[in-house]
Formats: sequence, structure tokens, C-alpha cells
Amino acid sequence: MKFNVLIGGKAGQGIETASKILAKSLVKLGFYAFTYRDYGSFITGGHNFNVVSFSEKPIYSHNMIFDSAILLDKESYEIHKNEFKENCIIVSDFEIEDKRLVRVDSQEIIKKLNAMQLVKNSILLGSLFKILGLPLDNLLETIKSELTDEKNVEAAKEGFDRVEVKTKISLPRKRGNKVFIDGTSAVGLGAIYYGIDLYFAYPMTPATPLLHFLSSLREKYRIKTIQLENEIAVINASIGANYAGAISMVGTSGGGFDLMAETLSLQGMTEVPLVVYLAQRAGPSTGIPTYTMQADLMAALYSGHGDFSRVVIAPGDAKDAFYKTIEAFYLAYKYGILSIILSDKHLAESYFTFDDFEEPKIKGNRLILEDVKDFKTYEITKDFVPKRTVPELAMVKVNSYEHDEFGFTTEDKEIAKKMQDKRMMKFKILEKEVKEKFEMVRVFGKGENLIISFGSTKGAIIDALDALKDFRFLQVLYISPFPKEIVKKEIEKSKKAIIIENNASGQLGKVIMQNVGIELNEILKYDGRPFTSEEIVFNVRKLTSKSR
Amino acid sequence: MMKKIVSDQKITWCPGCFNNVILHSFAKVLSELEAEGKIDLKKVVVVAGIGCHGKIFDYLALSGFNALHGRAIPTAIGIKLANKDLKVIAFVGDGDIYAEGLDHLIHAARYNADIKVFVHNNQNFALTVGQSTPTSEKGYKSKVRPEGEKEEPLNPIALMLTSKASFVARAFVLEKEHLETIMKQAVLHKGFAFVDILQPCIIFHNTADIIKKNVYKIETPKNFEEAFKLALEWDYNLKENFRIPLGIFWREEKETFEEKEGIGEVFWKIKRETNLKEILEKYIV
Repeated sequence: MKFNVLIGGKAGQGIETASKILAKSLVKLGFYAFTYRDYGSFITGGHNFNVVSFSEKPIYSHNMIFDSAILLDKESYEIHKNEFKENCIIVSDFEIEDKRLVRVDSQEIIKKLNAMQLVKNSILLGSLFKILGLPLDNLLETIKSELTDEKNVEAAKEGFDRVEVKTKISLPRKRGNKVFIDGTSAVGLGAIYYGIDLYFAYPMTPATPLLHFLSSLREKYRIKTIQLENEIAVINASIGANYAGAISMVGTSGGGFDLMAETLSLQGMTEVPLVVYLAQRAGPSTGIPTYTMQADLMAALYSGHGDFSRVVIAPGDAKDAFYKTIEAFYLAYKYGILSIILSDKHLAESYFTFDDFEEPKIKGNRLILEDVKDFKTYEITKDFVPKRTVPELAMVKVNSYEHDEFGFTTEDKEIAKKMQDKRMMKFKILEKEVKEKFEMVRVFGKGENLIISFGSTKGAIIDALDALKDFRFLQVLYISPFPKEIVKKEIEKSKKAIIIENNASGQLGKVIMQNVGIELNEILKYDGRPFTSEEIVFNVRKLTSKSR
Repeated sequence: MMKKIVSDQKITWCPGCFNNVILHSFAKVLSELEAEGKIDLKKVVVVAGIGCHGKIFDYLALSGFNALHGRAIPTAIGIKLANKDLKVIAFVGDGDIYAEGLDHLIHAARYNADIKVFVHNNQNFALTVGQSTPTSEKGYKSKVRPEGEKEEPLNPIALMLTSKASFVARAFVLEKEHLETIMKQAVLHKGFAFVDILQPCIIFHNTADIIKKNVYKIETPKNFEEAFKLALEWDYNLKENFRIPLGIFWREEKETFEEKEGIGEVFWKIKRETNLKEILEKYIV
């Protein structure tokens, strides 16, 4: 059973908090919850909504057909009325001509409690809990931990008491001890796990939540978050800090990433470690700023002039995001390379539920040599892996210009070739280690046909597999280095293989074509909204029946 | 004494180029400061932009980052944030920092980032063969504008003053001793130090004689109004009857960017122990 709850209203009415409280309470009860957040580019007033989906079995996506709805304004009803199931339970405090409505007089309760309008959320959540036959204590506990205004507790009780049980949802047998986390926090915690010192950013949706998240942890982890005048300053400060021994990261979205391009290339030449968190949104240009897209894969792979290698990793959910962020740091610092963590709005701002997180394979390490004499920044080592130390301990010269082993500028053709070879060779060594040590792809399901995708489409595809038993899902986690052999093998052993992407041009498809030489049928979505599992089932069936 | 600061790399500036003066003055200043026990050369990091000036990166046997055109300042800010014990000095050019990277200059001054910025100002883009920069005088002739530059020049001294820089100075390569005094004070200044060094380009823009004829040295003004008035005395045009004040226009001590951001540690010295359980604590429901 999968249950989908809509919470709709105006920006500023507390929808995001209400949805988090609902989902967290459900997870406490033993359910798996997923939340989707849909909001426009306005601070107060416009229509926003969240979807809280839950089930006794693991789920990773939402559906747009609702079993229940909490409506904070009438507009939400008008916008979503075609998405309510026949037996949907609508909870609100206004009158509408719909027999599915359970009206709760929240204004009377607010007056009685002499409370602020915002407690309406708690009232309606209380009512929903009663209607679904869920225990109130559990909701109250979450409200106490998430909200400071104590009146919310009374409000939820009032809401609970004023309605009747309509449908009793059976509770899972096992309660609690699950990990409930959003994609942004997971990236932040991965960075903290590796040992980040400094986070540099210029605000840009949907990367901004990471700036806020890490800022809230400054004291706890002795880290600093620095907001500079633009993305160019941000990324050059980060590379400067890393040169001087820090572990840092920058975060941005497409437009800001474009501004950073020249410094990506600088990284290639200087071999100073650099970690970039790229949270994609709907482009091109300003695009649809608060909506999702996977259209910056090509930019992540190719942005920056000249020949240089990079690591591009695309986590598919919050758990992936935690581990892959750690790997991104590890590879950047060990190989003096650029690591890009490719996320998007849908991954960054959705909450996921997992059974547990295992101990990561990697421990944080600055990889700074402390006993150095006549240090050569660009020494051509046996395995081409660069050495790293800091200015205080030796003369450390790094150079954007082609250089000799000490870092002094050169235009000598032999040295130039040697250095270019060194930079290319280290990537081969990196690739070998990644293949041995890290998960570059993951396969879900056992069907004879194959769906290939990357990033945040993962959740909806996994949930769609329930109805697509004849399909497996190949999730590509490493886009660079690309797991050529595995992808080729998986495609070749499948009867049919299709690719699913949240963009208009099939960018992963192009990468597969380039690396494996196979052109695949594709299902693309590019209206700024993420896939839902029913859309995937529908489109996969449509496509495969056509090609039969 | 100076040998260990100037490297043995072959100088590729034009013979007689005034960039050499900046290089050797800087080396002299550093060796003096070292002898006086005021500086530890191991903790000096130089950052260079791109242009003729940037070659100084190679000629200094010091730790350094040869950065991007226009971006030496944010690179320097990052270095200083990571290791507050370093003395971070950015050498930049007038095309480099008044055109490509002007935003960074203004903000670094506003933040009072504890870095020192030395501008090799030859009033043209020399390495790309002589186009005009924001400080080229009106009427300056180049291959782009053979009829003469049409725009009024930027006044970096006035700009830095209004950007709240805590140390603002102008020096001239042909006043070498004066240049060294200013460099020394800039290096020792706590906070953002800005020095516009007039460095005529002997190939494309040889203004040595005209500048030399018109410079005079100032005492550091007592108040901001006076400083600003002095800053406006020369607008970087090279018409008749003008005077170029040289010296420190403004100097004050105030909280640095790093202090305001609460940077209390040298990050590479921090040993971090992270624990999965503790990190995830808040997320276990």
C-alpha cells in the first residue's frame, strides 16, 4: 500500500514544515516516507504544495494521485481537484462543494487558543491523524521537536478531537530507528564526514540550502561558510584555500557553474584539489529556477577549456549523496583532481527514508606530506599520483601556466608533453582504483529488459519496477570515469534497453553512445517536474509496445 | 642576501622593463623585513594574475600561486582564510584587476581581507601588445583605437578610498626608495593594503619622463576628506599641467575579514575525527 498526501497552500503558510512533521511522524511509526516539494519563485503568496508519500515497504518517490489532502486555501482545491482519488479525504477549514471534505473549524480553535494563524497546520495534521486512525502521541512528539510555539501541541489535540476515524491504516510491525534525510543534508554530512573546513558559495537555488545547512553547523564542527561577491570569487577562493591545505567545497547551480568554468580548467592545470557541488535546476539560462532538470550533465562533463580529466558522480538519492560526496572528496584530494557532485532540485529538496547507513569505506585525510625537502609540486611520480604539502612546510609553487616539476613556467615542448601525459595518466590510475573500490553502477530488479538512468530519476524508476517486473534498472553513479564495460554488458544481455532522463536532449544517452556505441530509445521529461512512477510505467509500456 | 628571494629563472621581461624594479624592490623589502625579524619567508605566499606582471611569480623563490587573469585577489583571499599565519601578497596588473577582476578588488577592500595588492600599472595591456586598459589616459593610441582612446580613465585611488580600503597608496618605479618604503608598510599593514605602482611600459606606453616630471610626495592626510581630495588631484590622464601625488593616501587599522569570519585556526593543522553515528544522530527517527 502506498498512500499519497497532498499539502497545498500559499507560500509562507508553513507547508514545508507541515510536510516534514507529517513524514517524520510516519517514519517514527515504522513507515517509509518520501516527500516532494513543489514551489515557485516567490516568498509569500503563490501556490505551493508538498506531497508526502508513505508505505510500509521502502518507497523513493511520490505520486500525483492523492489519497488524502490538507488544503490551506481554496486555490489549492481548484488546482488539484482532478488529482484526488474517488475516496480521497480532503481536510480543510473552508467550505467547498465536495462530499469528500472533512471540514475542521480551525479559526474557532485558533481563537480559543489565542494562537497564531500558523498553528492551522498542526490543527489539520491532528485531524488527518485521527481520520487515518493514527496515534496522536506520535504526532505530538514530532511537533514538540520541530516547532517552538507550544500552542501547536494543543492545536493538534483539538484538531484530532474534532473529527472521526474514517479509514484505519494498519501500522507496520517494526517501529523507528530509520534514517530520514534530505539530499542536501546528505551532501553536507558527507562533506563533514570527510572533514570539510570551508564551504564557499554564492546563493543560487537549489544549491542554497546547502549553504544554509552548513552555516547552521559552523560551531558544532568548527567549519566556516563563506559567501563572496560572485561564483568566480567563490571558486577561486576555494582553490586558493585548498592549495594552502584546507579541505573545501563550492556549491552552485547551472548559471553559477558556467561562471566557474575557467577555474575548472585552472584546476586541471594546477592539480590543486577541487570539489564542486552542482545542484541542477531547469534551464537554459534563468529557466524555471525552483524546478528540477538533469540538463547540466554535459556542462559538468565538458565545461572548461583544454584537455583535462575530472570525476563526475551523480547520486540518485540522499543515501547515495552521502557516500558519493565522501568519494568525491577522497578522489579530489588524492589525485589533485576536480570532483563534481551532480545533484538536482528534486534530490536536494526531497526527504527519503532508509533502514540504515553503513560505515563508509573512506576516512577523511588531508594527504599532506609533513616531512618534505626540495618539494616538487609536479614531480612525475611512479604512479602519477601527485604529492601534496603546504606553503609553510616547503616552497610550493602552483601554476596556471604550463610548468616544470617545481612549478616554474615553461614553454618547452618536451616538458609540456610530459606534463600533459602525467595529468592524463593519473586519471587512468584513478579509474582503476574507482573500479576496484567504489560502486560505479547499481542494478535493481531481475527482468530481462533494461532501464538505464542516473541521478534523481532513481526513486521513481525503482518504485515503477513493482509494475514492470520484466525490467531491471541500471543506475549509473559514475559518469566520469564512465563504467563502460558494465554498461555495455548490461545492455547486451537485455532484450530491450531504454534510457530515462529528466532533460530534453538525452544527455546520458549521448554519453553511452560515445562510450559504448549503442543508441537507445529514450523517455524524456523536461517540464521542470520530476518523473512519477506511474508516468514511467505508462511511458515504458507505450514505448516497448511500439517497438515490439 | 637577496639571492634566496629572487629565483634563478631566466627573466623574460623586455630588457630594461620597469617590472624589474618592482621585483627587486620587493625582494629587498622582504629581506630587510626578514633581517628585522618581522617576517618569516616560509610563510610568504605570492599570488599573481596574468599579464607581464604575472611573470614575477617565476622570479620569486617563494611559495606561490600563478592564478587566472583577474582572479588573483579571490585566490589570495582563499589562501589567507585557509592559513591565517601566511603573509599573502597579490601582484596584479592594471588590465588584470581594473578590467577583468575589478569586482574582486572592490569587495576585497570592503571586506578588509588581510592581503596585500600590488598593481603593476603600466596603463596598457602590454602582453597582448598595447591595447588600452581602464587606466589608459584619454587619447592613448593603440591598434584598437589608432585615433586615440575615447573613454575617461578610472581613478583606482579614489575607488579604493570609497571602497573602504584600510591602506591606499600610490608609488612610482622611478622613485625606488619611496616605492620600497611604501611596499614595506603595505606588507606590514594589518588588513587590506592596496598600492598602485606606476610602471611605465618602455615598449608600448613609455610615460616615464612625463610621470617623473609631475610626481610629488605627500604626507599621509589626517582625515578622509583630505585624502579623497588628494586622490582626485590626478585623474590618470596625461594632459598638460597636472601633478601626481605619491605616497600613502589612507591608513587605518580595523577588523580584518578573517577576524570577522572568526578564523582562529590554521586549517591544515586541525586533525578531525568524524564518527558516523554522531553525524547521523539527528536523522535517526
